[in-house]
Amino acid sequence: MDTGNNRTEDQPLAGSGDYLWDRSGEPNPEIQKLEGLLGSFRHDGLAPMFPEIVPDRRWIFFPRRMRRFPFLAAAAAVVAIAVVAFLVNAKKTVPAIVAGWDVSRVAGTPRIGPKMISGKEGTSRLGVGQILETDSESRARLQADDTGQIEVDPGTRLRLLTMGAGLKRIALDRGTIHTYIWAPAGQFVVDTPSALTVDLGCAYTLQVDDTGAGLVRTSLGWVGFKLNGREAFIPAGAACATRPKVGPGTPYFEDASAEFRAALARFDFEDTPQQRTEDLAIVLSEARKRDALTLWHLLARVEGEGQRILVYDRLREFVPPPATVTEEGILRLDQPMLDLWWNKLGFDDISVWRHWERSWSGAATPAREK
Amino acid sequence: MATRSGDRVDLLAAGLERRPVTEVSEDAMLVDDARNGDRAAFGRLYYRYARMVHGVLLAKVPVCHVDDLVQDVFLLALRRLSTLRESGSFGAWLAAIARNLANDYHRRSVPEDQLEDDAFDNDIERGNSGNIMGAQQSQAFAVLDAVRSLPDAYREILILRLVEGMTGPEIAARTGLTHGSVRVNLHRGMQQLRAKLGPNTSNNQPGQETQ
Repeated sequence: MDTGNNRTEDQPLAGSGDYLWDRSGEPNPEIQKLEGLLGSFRHDGLAPMFPEIVPDRRWIFFPRRMRRFPFLAAAAAVVAIAVVAFLVNAKKTVPAIVAGWDVSRVAGTPRIGPKMISGKEGTSRLGVGQILETDSESRARLQADDTGQIEVDPGTRLRLLTMGAGLKRIALDRGTIHTYIWAPAGQFVVDTPSALTVDLGCAYTLQVDDTGAGLVRTSLGWVGFKLNGREAFIPAGAACATRPKVGPGTPYFEDASAEFRAALARFDFEDTPQQRTEDLAIVLSEARKRDALTLWHLLARVEGEGQRILVYDRLREFVPPPATVTEEGILRLDQPMLDLWWNKLGFDDISVWRHWERSWSGAATPAREK
Repeated sequence: MATRSGDRVDLLAAGLERRPVTEVSEDAMLVDDARNGDRAAFGRLYYRYARMVHGVLLAKVPVCHVDDLVQDVFLLALRRLSTLRESGSFGAWLAAIARNLANDYHRRSVPEDQLEDDAFDNDIERGNSGNIMGAQQSQAFAVLDAVRSLPDAYREILILRLVEGMTGPEIAARTGLTHGSVRVNLHRGMQQLRAKLGPNTSNNQPGQETQ
């Protein structure tokens, strides 16, 4: 086990010690000391006195107290019958509760279609097919208990496309949303004009500008980004841009050097073939071990074997491929070999994505481009 | 996909990756019992999740306000329990409530553009007791500040591990995150914490050698 101070950020995660993970194996004195120091802040375990819980969905026609007054009980029964009759008659005009998100106003006056949410009415509902918009002064919060929560920034327009048991899908036309999703991985999808964003158990921020260009920044877990077969996996701490017609660029860790990030952005979206070669050289020379994330994605984005072998060599310096992965296989972009190498980089197992990707095949075209 | 991952995919499809089935079903039973008025069941949920909620709040809120907010989180959850449609998602749902209340705390307390600056330098936490505070307590606050200065992805998980004493599998079970995410963030967070604390701060016990 090695979790010593002399570890550098770029050293592999595998084998870094079981004590930090589950306290198994030989105790690590450094972590034990931190536990001892920080343990003074630990929760004291005392429970508050909780109020009585009113049972949910329980019909109590006549409480015990009322049974002592039969006339009162009879009157209550008449009122109840009248209410039921009214509800039955009014049924045709009362809309059914639709699947959707609860929307609450955080600031300003967000709108669902033409209806403004002032906050006085409490929570509003965003149903399938409806549009939520915030102006430059407005913010809103969406919540669905079985899915997650979305904070909507000013200047945002989003539409609810689907809200099924295994599929929740919205379209972000423009603006910024901050999502925290607790629905099972792969069930929550956001269409943007330039890529499909698939939640894989995470929190992330997604921005779309007026041209349809997007940026996803993952703060917890990871996100899948996909357009027409071009895909990107974005773990916590990383970001990825996307452009209409092009799709996801190459993901990168946000603490990479400025030169690295600038060259990568040009390589993804601006360069001529000659410039791409020059910018690829900058990316490779500036890469750190952690940027294996970027290099792995570049294998499928570079043009021709000449560039691919440069990326292969650089990635191999940082994380040697598994024994079953061959140079020849990588150069011809053998998917199982690429996946095996990905799994060695220390991020989540790519089978998580591959599993959910199958359920999305054929659906990975953003709404605006269909 | 390579065949070696086929079994794993099947497990994922069955929902077994994230949490053991027994624990999910126990939670679901407790949630259902609580909905039906069983306060003891909600109490058991409290004991099961209090450390997680405490840790999530401690990652963002000054120490002196955390205990009050823990109670607020559970009281709010109690009131809204009937709106939770998937009983097995109780942990993730509760964690989201805790994060919301932590964010609301900052919205109420300071203008948004100062959120990064408060750095939990709340005088109440330590100011008046500065003269009598032992060196160890002072060091504990320094380490806590260092953890809370890390990116969101790392600070919550490190606090759950180092402060609340939860193991990685427990963190994954309580928060609804995957083992992989927790493991990666735990190790990366630890690396960043070491970098912040320096070589002598996190392990300066005489005669001890870091593994």
